[in-house]
Amino acid sequence: MASVEAKAPVLQIRHISKRFDTTQALDDVSLDLFPGEIHALMGENGAGKSTLIKIMTGVYHSDEGEMLLDGRPIRVNNSVDAQVYGLAAIYQEPMVYPDLNVAENIFISHRSQGVIVNWRKMYQEAEKILAELDVNLDVRMPARGLTLAAQQTIEIAKAISLDVRVLIMDEPTASLSAHEVEQLFKLTRSLRDQGVSILFISHRMDEVFEIADRVTVFRDGRWISTLPRGEITHERAIRDMVGREIEDFFAKRVGQRGEQLIAVRGLNKENVFSDINFEVYGGEVLGFAGLVGSRRTDVGLALFGVEPADSGEIILKGKAEKIHSPEQALRVGIAYMTEDRRQIGLTMPMSITSNISLPMLHQYLSRFGLIQRQAEEATAEHYRDRLSIRTPSIQQPVAMLSGGNQQKVMLSKWLNTRPQVLILDEPTRGIDVGAKAEVHHIINELAAQGLGIILISSDMPEILAMSDRILVMREGRQMGIFTRQDATQEIVLTAAMGQDRSPLETA
Amino acid sequence: MMQRVKRYFRPEQLRELSLVFLILLIFLFFGTQIEGYFSPRTFNRVTSDVAIIAVVAMGETLVLLTRNFDLSVGSIVGLTAFFTGKLLTFNPDLLPVGALLFAIGLGAALGTLNGVLVAYGKVPSLIVTLGTLAIYRSILVAFPAGTKNVVTQDLPQWLLDLGGMQLFSIGEFDIKPVVAVGLVMLVIFQLVTSYTRFGRRLYAIGSNPEAARVGGLPSQRIVLFAFILCGAMAGLAGFMFLVRYGNLTPAAAQGMELQGIAAAVVGGVSTLGGVGTMIGAMLGALMINLLQQSLLRWLVISTFWVGALLGLMILISVTIDAVIINRLRNIWTQQGLEINPVDETKVVNEKESHDA
Repeated sequence: MASVEAKAPVLQIRHISKRFDTTQALDDVSLDLFPGEIHALMGENGAGKSTLIKIMTGVYHSDEGEMLLDGRPIRVNNSVDAQVYGLAAIYQEPMVYPDLNVAENIFISHRSQGVIVNWRKMYQEAEKILAELDVNLDVRMPARGLTLAAQQTIEIAKAISLDVRVLIMDEPTASLSAHEVEQLFKLTRSLRDQGVSILFISHRMDEVFEIADRVTVFRDGRWISTLPRGEITHERAIRDMVGREIEDFFAKRVGQRGEQLIAVRGLNKENVFSDINFEVYGGEVLGFAGLVGSRRTDVGLALFGVEPADSGEIILKGKAEKIHSPEQALRVGIAYMTEDRRQIGLTMPMSITSNISLPMLHQYLSRFGLIQRQAEEATAEHYRDRLSIRTPSIQQPVAMLSGGNQQKVMLSKWLNTRPQVLILDEPTRGIDVGAKAEVHHIINELAAQGLGIILISSDMPEILAMSDRILVMREGRQMGIFTRQDATQEIVLTAAMGQDRSPLETA
Repeated sequence: MMQRVKRYFRPEQLRELSLVFLILLIFLFFGTQIEGYFSPRTFNRVTSDVAIIAVVAMGETLVLLTRNFDLSVGSIVGLTAFFTGKLLTFNPDLLPVGALLFAIGLGAALGTLNGVLVAYGKVPSLIVTLGTLAIYRSILVAFPAGTKNVVTQDLPQWLLDLGGMQLFSIGEFDIKPVVAVGLVMLVIFQLVTSYTRFGRRLYAIGSNPEAARVGGLPSQRIVLFAFILCGAMAGLAGFMFLVRYGNLTPAAAQGMELQGIAAAVVGGVSTLGGVGTMIGAMLGALMINLLQQSLLRWLVISTFWVGALLGLMILISVTIDAVIINRLRNIWTQQGLEINPVDETKVVNEKESHDA
């Protein structure tokens, strides 16, 4: 899209500043968005990306600066204004109405829709939009239970139906499988070709380089650079984001294999997964790779007793255990850190301290059954130092922390259960580059201390770099276990996408 | 075939069907237990009461759909019934339509107070309406004018006639005006919830309030409107209550909020918002009332147990919702998206993996 600059920008962001109490979230930021371009916005958490989106969609109001649409200043006071001006946003977690069906979700915000709902017409129009997107989705299906990718497609369809001019995509790929990402990119490109201006926000460098026409980097609320794709490199982007070169983006680690901690034999759960076999040794990271829908998380949930398996053996240090509940899993030394920190991983309004001590509260009780605050706080302080959780106080509600720090709190919570086997489900999803490197460092350290770690991740470079061995799943089946030496991106992806390939090692 | 069934038939509808089935079962059971049970008298008595509770339950449903509660409806029914009775006592020449509009308007006004506090004051609806439940009832109790009770002698003749009147009869089964009003409301509000923009937005807001806010729906206005309508329906129920009973004490319709909420919940309206239908609420009202009245006539168990049974039914239906309906829903909504039919092999593969 070399000709992009020749056109007039559809949206100009001019000298926008926004302050929250003591934090300067945005400091004199300017940005031009052209029709028919995919403009990537990068930066660590706290760089001001979210604040900018919220100002663009009318959730926040800027202290200074203005926005021009087609050269004319506009005021976006609320999300209704944003809709009228054709500014729409889709997020990592799609904002759908689970009890409404697909068609309703697309049209519910429409002002032009009459007072009476014409169901037949609505279904027809929804089908038409989805057909244009080359998507096969039953418009009568309630949104509840649809995959995240499907829900995101609904949001894109909604934006299209509202004649979107600037589409903001905030981490849209974070929860998608590689195949779904590809589909989303196809949709995104076709929107661009129709003249929509797309502001694309992602932590995944490769994706940004694949799809963006131009790349803008923010750091600490300030604009740092805007470059055409051809002129930007990984190193440059990272340097601009963090202000320094990150050397060991993925630290290599030599594993010391200890004793066998857990062995899984023929684990089955009807309609979910079948015949899962693997073992994890002390000091080892076993990666679980696979696309979304590969049921990796379900295996994790079964090991942790949340959704127990129907049959099969789980052997801990040579002793077969039936795991029916998380309590029991914790007792035998298994901990599971969920991928969903907002909904189920953490209790957002509670303090860091209370969150960390929650699963082990019985250890903090005095003789009279009262919670000993000091012991609790000592634990929290310990983990704050150990994992360098950045917070003014351990009494801070976790809702106030950045994603990376929330992740560390969640990690503290589970480490405090003193597990032997720690299952980490997408531990770096949606957190910034710096925090990600820190989490990787922590994982390596934990393994070095003799923990067995199961790392479920959709981030291919991460899983390749962090794992000693990689178990690849596809739609509930174990496709094979590959050693670190054998595993390449191509091999893992091929197995995950289902072209049969004889596994190099089966347990 | 299964796909077609799944597409046009949803687990929620199963619930309504099973309610119809249960109602028939209850009816048949008591028919064998109580002498003269299958009589027009049973029908006439049950339908009038059900109509009143159903109107309350339908109003309540509007509020429940938005993930809110209205606990004050019992007090609103009592207050409007009582004040409309007093109004007619002192102004016997008032037109019937005037009295009706007064009742509905008063209910709407009381609902407006609830709605403003909830939607704009951002106070949790449970707290707001717990407060107004007490306040509205106190206004009624403290009402100074004349004797405390409304008595039939003081009411105009047309009102008393309205209570006994039969709009039309099928054999000895009478359709009274109160019942007709309930049915008309059912039709209107079933259409409102499923065929109007307002109705669908009620579901949207209850289903995901955050998305409604981000998506630019006028949530506050819609919630306020739901409370106003709920109040107006309670006002209408108050008028129906006055027509049906005539003699009222300040304790009139006390506890009706529980019956209304119970009817809605038993009828499949979710207290978590976004799920439920008017037909469900009406069936819930029918089932609860039929059971209550039948138990009162059934001499085998003490009447003291009737209340406990009502509670038990609420618990059972909520449990059914949590366990069975959710399980069905999972069966219904497995998978959904095939962007370019790559995943067509999925079903086959899953099958294979079982066999493996």
